[in-house]
Amino acid sequence: MMLEGKIALVTGGRGGIGRAVVKRLMREGATVYAADLTENGSLQTHDDDGSQFIKLDVTSEDDAITAFKTVEQQHSCLHILVNAAGIEIEKTIEQTTLEEWNQSFAVNVTGTFLTSKHSLPLLRAAATQGATSSIINFGSYDGFIADPGLAAYCATKGAVHALTRAMACDHGPEGIRVNAICPGYVDTPMLQSFFKGDGSGGQGGNIESLQQAVRDVHPMRTYGTPDDIANLVNWLASDEARYASGQLWVLDGGLSAQVQQMRL
Amino acid sequence: MKLNGKLALVTGGSQGIGRGIVEAFIQQGAQVITCGRYTEPKDLPAACNYIQLDVSDPAAVNRFAADIHNLDILVNNAGVQVEKNTVESTDEDWDQVMGANARGVFNMCRAFIPNMTEGGSIINIGSISGNIADPSMALYNASKAFVHGLTRSIAVDHGPAIRCNAICPGWIETGMLEAGFATADNPQTAMHDALQRHPVRRFGKPEDIASMAVWLASSDASFATGQLFTIDGGMTAASPLNPGLF
Repeated sequence: MMLEGKIALVTGGRGGIGRAVVKRLMREGATVYAADLTENGSLQTHDDDGSQFIKLDVTSEDDAITAFKTVEQQHSCLHILVNAAGIEIEKTIEQTTLEEWNQSFAVNVTGTFLTSKHSLPLLRAAATQGATSSIINFGSYDGFIADPGLAAYCATKGAVHALTRAMACDHGPEGIRVNAICPGYVDTPMLQSFFKGDGSGGQGGNIESLQQAVRDVHPMRTYGTPDDIANLVNWLASDEARYASGQLWVLDGGLSAQVQQMRL
Repeated sequence: MKLNGKLALVTGGSQGIGRGIVEAFIQQGAQVITCGRYTEPKDLPAACNYIQLDVSDPAAVNRFAADIHNLDILVNNAGVQVEKNTVESTDEDWDQVMGANARGVFNMCRAFIPNMTEGGSIINIGSISGNIADPSMALYNASKAFVHGLTRSIAVDHGPAIRCNAICPGWIETGMLEAGFATADNPQTAMHDALQRHPVRRFGKPEDIASMAVWLASSDASFATGQLFTIDGGMTAASPLNPGLF
């Protein structure tokens, strides 16, 4: 077990990637708080996984303060913060309303800011006990290169990448490591919504053939699972990654290693 | 005219991108020398001097460099491509691709940097494929990554006297591109698909690369060095996966 005795909090902890992360961290021996808007997060149901639920709207500073107060009362420190909460608006800038734009930034960027900010005293407390503590943000390969019709999402993920490096610079000397994982296509409710909403899957297209085509474009010939992402979260959270900080870890089955795949 | 009175050497100027750069440099007032492995092409502009030279041959490059002084602009454009993956590639393929694309650029830079004028500009032709892979182009992709690395090294080691940058073209309309479509199962569909992947909805032309080369060669670019400039109509700004096209 790689995380025995560690205390972790995962935002979006009941979402597609978040709950896989929660499960993995628990399997590795960590005590895990799953923070989310509701007990079921973005899915229909939730089977008890042994994690402690904390109701958290990441856009609310009061919520963030309350959440970490709870952690402090119970454990007095935090080793691992995973900022997995995120939303995706599937629109070009012309179609995106100001409200949608602000909401994207509120969840994906401001949320990462608020939870990181208010967890710092607890992360510092964990770091003074001889080990490093670890913040793991969620960027995206869309923060490097664009998918069509995802303008606000791409922009928020670029912001997360820059924030990750800035936080790593500022808090590395305190023993706090900060990294971002940049997933490509991962099978989550967000991806299924993208398939349906894209115009090829939802409007008369065949979603199964679309999914197969998407798999075929990947050098690994599949898109990822939440467990693939959780594997990297686990490593970045662990002491094996004690020298890893300030980096953007692309995990995409080789998708972005290649030039666009023309059908010749 | 942006390059008035400048002396420029462009390798591989007989056709394609190199030819576009030769013509643009002449138009901007430069005196241009170009070279190639074969005899002088008949349609080369009269204002351009042609030398037969294999850039992969260090002795030949050194002899050539001994005759040329006060060079202002060096464009390392000559290159070859072999469409094979790593396992398929032979020792001859290695010699050919790395010889021209990697060793050739090195030979030219080593021989000419001592002869270049203060403020001289070296422009290497890299490729988007030096950053991300084209399938079944293993040696080519690797050779262009070499060019990118050498570009930065020269900028770091030989500034401020010399500036060195690379241009990374995407899909440019040279004979090679049309030949690629001709072999597709359905050339029409393939062409349409490829165009949809370019935000500017067209392929590049040699002039598109030449205009960047003119800028990098000119004093307008006097603060630009050590960088890779991608000109690809926006192709690599988009994800390689474009579900709208499936």
